[in-house]
Amino acid sequence: MPIRIQLDRVLLQRRMSLTELADRVGVTLANLSILKTGKARAIRFSTLDALCRELDCQPGDILVFEPGPPETDED
Amino acid sequence: MRALGPGSVSSLLKVGLDVFWWALVGLTVLVALAVLAALVLPRLPEMSAPARDAAGGLVQVPVTRPILVGRLTLLAVYCAILLLIVRTLRRIFLTLVAGDPFRPENVGRLRGVGLGLAALAALNLLTPRLESLFIPGLVRSADAWPELTPWFSVVVVFVLAEVFREGARLRREAELTI
Repeated sequence: MPIRIQLDRVLLQRRMSLTELADRVGVTLANLSILKTGKARAIRFSTLDALCRELDCQPGDILVFEPGPPETDED
Repeated sequence: MRALGPGSVSSLLKVGLDVFWWALVGLTVLVALAVLAALVLPRLPEMSAPARDAAGGLVQVPVTRPILVGRLTLLAVYCAILLLIVRTLRRIFLTLVAGDPFRPENVGRLRGVGLGLAALAALNLLTPRLESLFIPGLVRSADAWPELTPWFSVVVVFVLAEVFREGARLRREAELTI
């Protein structure tokens, strides 16, 4: 996926655990793990809004575009 | 069970499927017993089938044991295929009741239903021809048009399977949308 998630870097900078962030944002730990490991297919604006609010950062701090071959859909 | 509101189409379908399933189980057991009886009973009731003789006149041809066993076996195969189809439909319906019908396994199930319907259509096509081999001149009700509806239903089910495949993909996308 050309969009890379840098959530772990921001969590480290804010000295926050994934569990704590999950509680604050209102997303399950399992879903946040999916996001952190780059397995998510999409993110809602509401989730991105909550993440940026709790981590006090910009969307560009969490999401980075790295040019590469587009991901093919699994059948 | 949110899909089964009182008076809903889904609840009526569920009742219909359950009733049809148990009726089919009963019928299959009866047919299997009939096949067994036709094989082992020393004397069979006299049966005959209408056929045309060489002069074109209508005669009654006795249905012998092999013919009776053959007919009942074909009926048993028909019932068995129907049982498989209804069992698969009931499993699909369970996923609907659980509120998650677009599961990947339902794609394969629908394709299986399509293949089962194709087998039934083929059996319907072959049975009169097989019977004619053993009862030459057997009189059958002539159809003005070839029966296309069974084959059309096969196509419909396979199209539905593709719709469910796309549904399963969208479900996966929704699961992975955070």
